[in-house]
Amino acid sequence: MNEAKALKTFYFSQMLGKPIYDSERRQIGRIKDMAVRWDGLYPQVVGIKYARKVHMLIPIEQVQECNEQGMQLAGTFTPEQCIQLHDSDIYISKWLLDKQIIDLRGSRMVRANDITLSWMMQDGHMRMILVAVDIGLRGLFRRLGLEFLLKNRAHNLLGLQYIKPLESWTSSLQLTREKKQLRELHPADIADLLEEMDYKSRASFIENLDAQQAIEALTEVDLETQVEIFEQMDRQKASDLLEEMPPDEAADILGELSVEKSEDLLQLMEAEDAAEVRELMQYEEGTAGALMTTEFIAFPAALTAQEAINRLRELAPTAEMIYYVFVVDETEHLQGVLSLRELIIAYPQTVLQDIMHTKVESVREDDNHRRVAEVINKYSLIAVPVVDEENVILGIVTVDDILDILIPERGDRETYPWFAMSKMVGRGR
Amino acid sequence: MTWLKNTRNRTKLFFAIMGPGVITAFADNDAGGIATYASAGANYGYAMLFTLFISSICLAIAQEISARTGAVTGRGLSDLIRELFGVKWTLFAMTVLLVANIGTTASEFSGIATSFEIFGVSKYISVPLAAVLIWWLVLKANYERIEKIFLVLCVTFLSYIISGVIIDPPWTEVLKASVTPTFASNASFLMLAIGVIGTTITPWGQFYIQSAVSDKGITAKDYKYTFWDVMVGAFFTWLIAFFIIVATAATLHVNGISIETVGDAAIALQPLAGKYASMLFSFGLLGASMLAAFILPLSTAYAVCEAFGFEHGISKSYEEAPVFFGLYTALIAIGAGLVLWPDLSLYSIMLASQVVNGVLLPPILIFMVLIASDKNVMGSYANSPWFNVIAWVFTAVLIVLTLMLLVSTIAPGWWNSAMTFLGL
Repeated sequence: MNEAKALKTFYFSQMLGKPIYDSERRQIGRIKDMAVRWDGLYPQVVGIKYARKVHMLIPIEQVQECNEQGMQLAGTFTPEQCIQLHDSDIYISKWLLDKQIIDLRGSRMVRANDITLSWMMQDGHMRMILVAVDIGLRGLFRRLGLEFLLKNRAHNLLGLQYIKPLESWTSSLQLTREKKQLRELHPADIADLLEEMDYKSRASFIENLDAQQAIEALTEVDLETQVEIFEQMDRQKASDLLEEMPPDEAADILGELSVEKSEDLLQLMEAEDAAEVRELMQYEEGTAGALMTTEFIAFPAALTAQEAINRLRELAPTAEMIYYVFVVDETEHLQGVLSLRELIIAYPQTVLQDIMHTKVESVREDDNHRRVAEVINKYSLIAVPVVDEENVILGIVTVDDILDILIPERGDRETYPWFAMSKMVGRGR
Repeated sequence: MTWLKNTRNRTKLFFAIMGPGVITAFADNDAGGIATYASAGANYGYAMLFTLFISSICLAIAQEISARTGAVTGRGLSDLIRELFGVKWTLFAMTVLLVANIGTTASEFSGIATSFEIFGVSKYISVPLAAVLIWWLVLKANYERIEKIFLVLCVTFLSYIISGVIIDPPWTEVLKASVTPTFASNASFLMLAIGVIGTTITPWGQFYIQSAVSDKGITAKDYKYTFWDVMVGAFFTWLIAFFIIVATAATLHVNGISIETVGDAAIALQPLAGKYASMLFSFGLLGASMLAAFILPLSTAYAVCEAFGFEHGISKSYEEAPVFFGLYTALIAIGAGLVLWPDLSLYSIMLASQVVNGVLLPPILIFMVLIASDKNVMGSYANSPWFNVIAWVFTAVLIVLTLMLLVSTIAPGWWNSAMTFLGL
């Protein structure tokens, strides 16, 4: 690889349709498409499609020269020299040019306006390598034969390492690379991408994410898209994901599905998770009960700070919010609260009883979201506990959840106005 | 869980009434539509009913193709044109769409101007105000609610049905006219015929319904519901247009009154509303025009940006998506600007834009049929050979009509002698 050296770079659109000659100056055909294989570091051109309806390819080894006038083959051409398309090969024009791809650098969807190819000398062999995708206006104008209008504009090329095609066509080696790159994306960015994709691409995209990331991204997606995704997903996979999602999100989604579908998914879920979700689904829309999550941290008052921290270490990976530690008696009555900071700076042997605040601001399960927002705002909380009439803690409403209601993302209503009115936006959101 | 069940039932009902097909149907009867139907009724009596009948069937076919493509691929029409036909054809299709939609946007603003003129407000006040209001509301406000108001206003047009029933025209004659092929070869009849087709089946309607279906996440599996939604929608388009033509024919044509402005079409509502006819009409016209003026510039900007890969979406900032916002603003500005041109009559803008739509429809139809019959894209949902024959015949008829219109407009003398020669 260290030997690789680019000799000449050109645009695929400039080669498309150019004549192909063999060594006797006979015209064999025209460049209709190029097949690319991506099993090493770079995707390499392996063959040239030279006529419509002919599925055999001229092997790249035959090509002697390639310039603006056309393509020159090294020897005399005979159809027997042709090779067949390999399973993992892709056609540039048919499968990449003009298609939507994901720009991993900017985490957005872009369109492949043109493709840059490069002759490279690698280990003593000439290779034609696919280097980058042109996603800029200049590439678009080049396709129209109007590039001279934008001579002074910079090229907007996207290196191959930053693209992710919507349909996976790469070898397993490249898939591992893609997965690694996807892991770097923020779940909120993935959520935006998911909202933009069509339903087929979504399914294959979610397949590529690891489980934890898929859950985080799905949590960030707007409710409407969540519902669409779960409606179309395989039921086993859907129930697995729902188990792992925060129960309040899962309840929102299930509440929007048809009765049969949501019952079916709840049956498939683990009994404990399902019960939690069912409980949340019973609360009326817009109330604290419907907003809350049941994943919070609550410890008995007799625990020492040290013990509490140890238990926190075990619970933290699944709990939604760990900055407040609630103190409860054996029947789950809310007795006090302390912040993570207070817990950490306390002497290890202090019992929670001695450091907790006993005056806890809380809301009732049937309080509306306005009241919840007021309490959170007035006392500058990150989350507020939800209790029933006997002061038993049921869950917490985090500031994120309430922000979602108060300031809906513009993106949630991004679709054309008429679509929006025919979509029931559920649970009062 | 009763509240849950209630929500779901309401949702179902809502879906049943408000699918993309039905919504597009209401939008098809916009300002330009009213103008064209009223003109058809006033000038030719019941003669245009046959053209309307045929074009409504074609509407059902065209919408069905678009909706099915949207459901199977999950993609918009401009997206598919770009992927399957490349940049040059996309540029062509988008140019066609832009020209047609600038015309239609202008006709919507004419509708707004007309409805205000009925109350004595000058178009130089109403149009700029409406343009700014629409521009601002779409980008900044919660338009879901505002739009429901306009849709409710549109329902006013159902009053043409009541009016038509009250007038009680000679029903046997009317029904006979709707299925008897009637044709005249002069330019004005041809123009109106193309206008009727152009206003029922619009290029933007095809782009719109496909995006609506795919954006709602309707898949091939659920397509059967959308199919009926589309059919019901096409039926509604026909029903309202039918009664506008019948009502205007029975009141205006019979008495030899010709239409000078769209406002005259209100006369056909007098049997129902008496002296309040103009008011009723103007509310309906305002609703329909505002509704379409809301959606048209936005959906055009979406389609164009989607095809060329520019960033788009109203959630983006101007810096992120300059092309999108530029196009959106330009469409409103040009549409409103055309209406303010001093010597142009509002009525002719409306009629002309429908003819432009009719002329520009065939290229879009060709793309649609090609895509819908591509087995690689549509799989088992591709057009059947028989269906394709119907679709192509319809496209061909429209092209022939368009060519006839061009010839009869450019060289009327030659046209007339050719017609005499053929014995028509």
